Amino acid sequence: MRLFKFLSAFVAIAVLLTACGGQGTTTPIVPVTDATKAPPPAELAILHFGWLGKPDTLNPAYAFLTESYTVFDLIYTPLTTESPDGTYVGGLAKDWSVAADNMTWTFNLKDGIKWHNGEDLKAEQVAWSINAVMADPDGWAALSGYISGFTEVTAPDDKTVQIVTEYPIANMEYRVSFLYAVYPPDFESFATPEDLQNFSNFEAIGTGMFKMNTFDKDTGVLILDANKDYFDGSPKIDQIIFQTFDNSDAMIQALKVGEIDLVNEVPASAFVTVQGYEGVTATASDGRYFNELIVNTVDPNNDPAPTGNPALADPVVREAIALSINKQDIVDIVLQGLATPGASIVPPTLGGGFWYSPNIKDVAFDTAKAGSMLEAAGYVPGDDGVRVKGDLRLEFRLQFPSDNPVYPRIADMMANWFDEAGMKAIPEAVDSDSLIAATTPAGDYDLVIWGWGPDPDTDFILSVMTTDQFVDGGWSDSGYHNPEYDQFYLDQQQAVDKTERQKIVWTMQEMVYNDRPYIVLYYEKLLQAYRSDRFTGFIESPLGIEIGLSLLNVEPVK
Amino acid sequence: MNRRDYLLRKIGLSLITILVVVVINFILFRVLPGDPVRAVIGRNVRISAETQQALREQFGLDKPVFPDQFFDTLGQWARGNLGVSWSLRQPVSEILLSKLWNTVLLIGLGQVLAIILGVALGLLAGWKRKTAIDVGALTFSLIAWAIPTFWLGIILLAAGSTWFGLPTAGIVSPANTGKPLITVLPDLARHLFLPTLTLTILYLGEYMLIMRSSILEVLSEDYILTAKAKGMSHWQVLWKHALKNAMLPIVTLIALNLGFTVSGAIYIETVFSYDGLGKLFQTALVKQDYPLLQGAFLLLAVSVIIANMVADTLYVVLDPRVKEA
Repeated sequence: MRLFKFLSAFVAIAVLLTACGGQGTTTPIVPVTDATKAPPPAELAILHFGWLGKPDTLNPAYAFLTESYTVFDLIYTPLTTESPDGTYVGGLAKDWSVAADNMTWTFNLKDGIKWHNGEDLKAEQVAWSINAVMADPDGWAALSGYISGFTEVTAPDDKTVQIVTEYPIANMEYRVSFLYAVYPPDFESFATPEDLQNFSNFEAIGTGMFKMNTFDKDTGVLILDANKDYFDGSPKIDQIIFQTFDNSDAMIQALKVGEIDLVNEVPASAFVTVQGYEGVTATASDGRYFNELIVNTVDPNNDPAPTGNPALADPVVREAIALSINKQDIVDIVLQGLATPGASIVPPTLGGGFWYSPNIKDVAFDTAKAGSMLEAAGYVPGDDGVRVKGDLRLEFRLQFPSDNPVYPRIADMMANWFDEAGMKAIPEAVDSDSLIAATTPAGDYDLVIWGWGPDPDTDFILSVMTTDQFVDGGWSDSGYHNPEYDQFYLDQQQAVDKTERQKIVWTMQEMVYNDRPYIVLYYEKLLQAYRSDRFTGFIESPLGIEIGLSLLNVEPVK
Repeated sequence: MNRRDYLLRKIGLSLITILVVVVINFILFRVLPGDPVRAVIGRNVRISAETQQALREQFGLDKPVFPDQFFDTLGQWARGNLGVSWSLRQPVSEILLSKLWNTVLLIGLGQVLAIILGVALGLLAGWKRKTAIDVGALTFSLIAWAIPTFWLGIILLAAGSTWFGLPTAGIVSPANTGKPLITVLPDLARHLFLPTLTLTILYLGEYMLIMRSSILEVLSEDYILTAKAKGMSHWQVLWKHALKNAMLPIVTLIALNLGFTVSGAIYIETVFSYDGLGKLFQTALVKQDYPLLQGAFLLLAVSVIIANMVADTLYVVLDPRVKEA
């Protein structure tokens, strides 16, 4: 009886609390952050954006997380931006051209661009922003990769920015799409790289479609107001509120009850449920994230000496491994269809499909064929069924980062398929830090399942396979070393002609596919959802809902 | 040994323990595999090996762990400086302080409610032994104690947000961010309700069970029979004779639990996206943020040690036998 009373008391308090506070969906929220900002009028169109992360900083010099870049794309404008079809269109730049020597780029700025404080943007401020990165690459750690090969950036007049380079740069449009024009007075006064990196930039002034209102780094709450003076048309909503959830179930629940309107990353396990929510539209797009099986390809003469199974150097063994992976089953069973079987390290969505080689035809799953190939190459079953050839025994460590929910299942399935072909895989979950230490540059592994989220340009993911990257702090984990590939990599960096570059990029993917330092398993789908009963006008592309363009375009449902 | 010597000895021992913890923490985090620079920048960015080296130098990781890094750290701490977090780029003491109050508010509230309700329920169940009340309370407590934290949190979150419109995340609504908490009390109360309820239910069972068994033991003592024989009322027997003795194990439990309060409740903070110390500890560990980890564990160690000291001191007050020992 008392227990009942105790519970009833709690329920009563809950009802009371419900009554005393307004809820996001029904009552307009009036944000006031400090006395200097006047409270906006009551009927604001506020879009609530839920995500599982939060920006690590609002300072572009030292931001590493994707969330930070989502916000930068809203408050800053670079010279160019990537459009949904993978091509580059003007951001601050109206148009641009490159001189005959392919080493002088001229960007003409659009008219009527204003900083959030009302001042006019001048070309020299854009040049200043890029020069700042060039002058202090240690301080601007996060952007310094984009300026390599730049020699001089100038502003011949108020509307023109000129970039002179040391050698032709093929992906200039992509590079400048990360070089945000920052407000120089905010960044001028830092004496050391550390001072610059410690700058929080919570009152960032940019030229983007939204302006800073509030950022609370602890909770991740970020409020942006529409920039009604935005040079490419004002957003139709008044405000975005970003809210960080530490748990995806709570985030999905918040979407269900209407506390948030847009979820950028729906967990695969919840996708079907979310599809069933009333008033919610859930989308699955191809995205550009891929998952691969890394095959130890480290040079045996490497220092330290790799410990991988030497049989992996045999192309027949590599092909047998590729034949013994049923990618379609992985997609259907483990990923519930929310992925596509993969083959190339360049995902088909990159650049709208322009960079994906059509010449790659993946081998079909066939463990019997794998077995007979191995047999023909002299690998015969030993006493325990595992094939041997002299000292070589086809038994491999199959490791994967322990923080991934689907890899254990995939590893188990692989071990079974390997078994059918007369190979043995021993699955093992390892924490990702140890795995980085084991792969680069130690080469202390056989096979590893892992994933990559490549940049919009192919340059980064291609660089992962170069010999130079197999050093401490480098990105190569397979240890692939192929001088011909390395030369192609340099060539594509300087091939300003797009078709010529495409040809090289295709060849490089084909080399990786055939040599198999990576066996690409699948391309993961990007799962997003939004309250279509509250907002309309989201812009979808093969890469998913385009956050920047959508937020400029969405409006409340009337 | 008199009371002052007893306390002085306890304080001295506590200081030595803190020192040992400091040294162990320093060694412990550095034997972890992996590279803090990599952990800070993640796997998806384009940072050259040179830039990583520059960061490594900035963090002091290019120097030998012993003696350079060790004495650098000790020197800084001696000057009262816990260093700057690598991943958050803020002074560690500032970060810890900002999360400390959030956690103390949540866990403190949950603990106080759990203690009051748990002790009362345990007392009642013990007193009404073998009645329906006892069986009911015992069953409820056993279930509450056995429920997985994460599960209960999610269930209450789903039910609370669907049926009562209670918020799913945070300490206050996003629109109230940055305002002094005192000005947004109703909003704060709505946000605290579900996590506090979860915590209360989870801890309540433990307090109830300990209290019940403790009071049952005391009630079987001869002096209780004597008190009853003297014609004292039930209430007087319970209040004047039974409760004080039965409280001893509870005091230990409270002290231990309160000590761990600052470690936060990682599960609850994660379910309700509550910005507290528990989550901070986890992030610091994932990011291999040595200064933040060391600061956080120092805070945890100090509070556990202080809580134990308080418990020891309370024993002196509650139980005269401790003094004489």
